[in-house]
Amino acid sequence: MSEIQRIHPPRRPISRRAMLRGMAGMGAAAAFGPTLAACSSGATPSPSAAASPSVAPSAAASQEPTPVPSPESELYVYNWTEYIGEDTISKFEDQYGIKVTYDFFDSAETMTAKISTGNSGYDVTFPTSTYIKGYVEQGFIQPLDLSLIPNKVNLAPEWQDPEYDPGNQHSMPYMWWTTGVAYDTAQIEEELTSWKALWDPRWSGKMAMLDDVRETFGAALIRLGYSVNTTSDTELDEALKLLQDQKPLLRTYTTDDIGVLSSGDVWVMHAWGADVYQVQEERDTVVYYIPEEGGVRGSDTMVLLANAKHPIAAHAFINFMLDAEVAAANTNYIGYMGPNEAAKQFIDPAILDDPTVNPDKALVAKLQEILDLGADEAKYTDRWTKLRSGA
Amino acid sequence: MPGLSWLVVFFALPLAIIFVVSLGSRDQYGGVLFEHLGFHNYARALEPELLPTVGNSFKYALATTFFSIVIAYPIAYWISRYGGRRKVLLIVLVMLPFWTSWVIRTYAWMIILRDNGVVNGLLGAVGLPGPIQLLNTDLAVILGMTYGFLPFAILPLYVSIDRLDPALVQAARDLYSGGAAAFFHVTLPLTMPGIIAAALLTFIPAIGDFVTPDLLGGAQTTTIAKVVQTLFLSARDWPFGAALGFLLIVVTIVGTVAGLRFLRQEVVG
Repeated sequence: MSEIQRIHPPRRPISRRAMLRGMAGMGAAAAFGPTLAACSSGATPSPSAAASPSVAPSAAASQEPTPVPSPESELYVYNWTEYIGEDTISKFEDQYGIKVTYDFFDSAETMTAKISTGNSGYDVTFPTSTYIKGYVEQGFIQPLDLSLIPNKVNLAPEWQDPEYDPGNQHSMPYMWWTTGVAYDTAQIEEELTSWKALWDPRWSGKMAMLDDVRETFGAALIRLGYSVNTTSDTELDEALKLLQDQKPLLRTYTTDDIGVLSSGDVWVMHAWGADVYQVQEERDTVVYYIPEEGGVRGSDTMVLLANAKHPIAAHAFINFMLDAEVAAANTNYIGYMGPNEAAKQFIDPAILDDPTVNPDKALVAKLQEILDLGADEAKYTDRWTKLRSGA
Repeated sequence: MPGLSWLVVFFALPLAIIFVVSLGSRDQYGGVLFEHLGFHNYARALEPELLPTVGNSFKYALATTFFSIVIAYPIAYWISRYGGRRKVLLIVLVMLPFWTSWVIRTYAWMIILRDNGVVNGLLGAVGLPGPIQLLNTDLAVILGMTYGFLPFAILPLYVSIDRLDPALVQAARDLYSGGAAAFFHVTLPLTMPGIIAAALLTFIPAIGDFVTPDLLGGAQTTTIAKVVQTLFLSARDWPFGAALGFLLIVVTIVGTVAGLRFLRQEVVG
């Protein structure tokens, strides 16, 4: 029954409903994406000449110099469902003359299970950053040849050397999102700004937390002023105590934030920012905020699989995805912000001006990314079992 | 011995694998280490912290078994006695819900039980104040499970009632037994094998069900099966999950054997 157990952020930036509406409004070609969109606009040479980002010193030692070989004629890409611009693939095929086979998955478990066999046949996939460390240690992915990815200069400085993958040695960032609080302004008239709202007894039985160990402990840890990646037993025990106090007030723990918020069963909820768009389709009084104490930032990356048969084409694809206009087109279609500084000038102002998708710098500085803690993950999962099974 | 090989391949072997895994310890990426085999996971499983979930599991499974039989008995009785030429059709109708995925049917209950769902809508329409919280409660879990496992109760009860010779009931009535007395002294004891089979067939899947408590239950309805599922899928702790699963299987087997022994003594012997 794993299809109902979404443990990681659901990648559904455009709901079925929105898709259907889109189809009615814009014509079928827009909705069916790459296969039908016979778009062949002039390919942009990359990197975009208009971009002038400051190049952060790359911590990555350059790989052994490879004479730039010509890419293979095929490429196999494995991505989350509905997580790319509508004509991105066809543009890439036109520009490079590479035939792309593009498949998708809807859960990190499915994808990991497939690539862990070592002969999935895919070249590039899009894991959440938390998985990178494990994938490297287990040999699922191989280092990138950064000399083949000149568009790395387009990345904003904070993405040039991310904590989950120092120097972008094994991954290039793709899109990011936040976790915070969503609430229904039709039921709650005052303005909420803090994590404390999720412990407010006035909304007892009308609150929910995400059914996700690291996210839910992350919320409690941020409220306490600690790191979401702490390995301190005392800090984690404090967080557990806080969550145990909260449990009787909760209606449920669920990853279906869209369902319980849009039905009105829940008024205040620990939620993924990107999901709130879909809730608003059904219930436009629901709003989302990143709490003043800070929130969680998650991101997805692009990686090269260990047994990739088309590594040069894969590098070309990753480089293409970091092109300013291509990255902007992806963001404009799926509604997630990317790490691409050079792309900003091409992004729809409605997205850029939306603080829930593109929070201002001061708030971004307060966002923490969940890291893979290796063996210390057990400190979280053991307490999670305790929390969930306690009376 | 096709029966024996079937048992080995589909029962003994998987159980042995679960047992071996339960003796290991986890590595950090969800693998299983077999370096220090021992019963440490069983020690954890017996900690009192898990008791509330075990209590929840038994509460839901027992309530589901009880309501399933109470509802299934009249249905099975009616089909058997009054189904006539349409008996087969009626039995097919009982099985009909299985043609739709279990998860989808449970989602349908979510829509029915929501605060703005069908039930609360009807209550509101007759002027009752509301909404009442139905979804994410014990009631919703028991309702959903009873709905789901009802066919498992109807079928063995039907077989048992259908095999009962109506002449025996007639004889009781001829000897001036009232309808109720005839039922309790003749029909019920003679259909006891069916009742016990129905109880086993609802209790066993109910105790292992994690989908219903997960979808219809809430923050306070965690069951042991849900804990096992979390340990396997998100906590990456297979050995502990295997230990809990193994204990659950052992308890279920012991319960089944005890049930069958009771059946042999009370009914046959």
